[in-house]
Amino acid sequence: MLKPPAADLADLLARVAARDREAFAAVYKATSAKLWGIVVRILPRRALAEDVLQDVYVRIWERAETFDPAKASPITWMATIARNRAIDEVRRRAPISIEDAPEALEVEQGGLSPLDSAQQSEDLRRLQECLQGLDPVRREIVLLAYYNGLSREELAKRFAHPVATIKTWLHRSLAQLRKCLGS
Amino acid sequence: MIDGDDIDLIAAEYVLGTLPADERAAAARRARRESPLGEAIDAWSRRLGPLVEAILPREAPATIWPEIAARIDALEEVLQTPQQVTAEIIGIERRLGRWRAAAIAATALAASLMLFVGYSEVARAPEDKTLVAVLQKDAQSPAFLVSVDLETRVLTIRAVAAEPQRGKSYELWLVHDELKTPRSLGIVGDTPFTVVHPQLAGYSPKVIEQATLAISLEPEGGSPTGAPTGPVLFAGKLIQATK
Repeated sequence: MLKPPAADLADLLARVAARDREAFAAVYKATSAKLWGIVVRILPRRALAEDVLQDVYVRIWERAETFDPAKASPITWMATIARNRAIDEVRRRAPISIEDAPEALEVEQGGLSPLDSAQQSEDLRRLQECLQGLDPVRREIVLLAYYNGLSREELAKRFAHPVATIKTWLHRSLAQLRKCLGS
Repeated sequence: MIDGDDIDLIAAEYVLGTLPADERAAAARRARRESPLGEAIDAWSRRLGPLVEAILPREAPATIWPEIAARIDALEEVLQTPQQVTAEIIGIERRLGRWRAAAIAATALAASLMLFVGYSEVARAPEDKTLVAVLQKDAQSPAFLVSVDLETRVLTIRAVAAEPQRGKSYELWLVHDELKTPRSLGIVGDTPFTVVHPQLAGYSPKVIEQATLAISLEPEGGSPTGAPTGPVLFAGKLIQATK
């Protein structure tokens, strides 16, 4: 898929803010595969993921006028809306017990480009370096939470540690990342 | 009082997605009012945001775009008809005012809602569709009256017998199998009439027609989680007002 330049997407979003339906269709065409990739990793149940993606684009339509190109790139802004909506949904659903659904802990690992991809941005390269500084298990915990929306409880089961330990590890990992990235 | 480090960790876990549902909802609410948390969340979104670059695109199901387009159509329709909406509210207010003045017994009131709305429909355009519901615990105690204009997706709700509860809010939910989880339509205000608008715009007429409306008792300001947390006190189904 060809990536539209960020400037084009920002122009399209400005038109969406002015209620331009054609521009909105173009935004959908350019970004839906990316946002679907984000949502479906967090919500593997397809029907639920479809509802959430719908909500995400309705929100993009409603909030386009709040998009500020000085604060975030268009795709980052849209990805944030998609992740937030998907995580809201997965968090408020009752946790699935492992006994009832062993597949609940089978987390999709594919769908990510290699970490050393030549195309990655400077920001991602820097973040990767900082992630490499974490203990491997703690790094995996952070990435599973970010990419797959696992809760503290799910991480605790998966790694066979108490929830309190996972919480402590998350806090230390995040503090370490922040320090590494500089504030 | 929460200090800066705590705010930063709440923001970091909010962005990472690991806050439990109640803390997540509380953080989202606080971020709107309290700028330090909002700023910390923005900063963490920027720090972790590059990770989404690595997510490979996948073609979204073809059925999604038509659904989105229909929801946007419905939203825009609502936004373009404010005068009509106001007229509608005043109309309902008059009707309800008359019932009140007549001090009809509760069950008779429920019946008259159907009759009266039905009667008033005669003069309206044939494509107008008004749905009504009586939300009650049992047949003897209707607590809220609801009217939905399917065309403008405006819902009006009035407390009949429900008493305001100190430190609590009544929250209205739309319940339908297709939606999987109850969807909040908002808090029922203390004013005589609460107009819910445009929350319904995002739902298809089919879903609204078949839905059950329910009222739960929530902490003041509404459910902290986005799902009902308190007891469901009243419920009812929408029926079409007869023409």
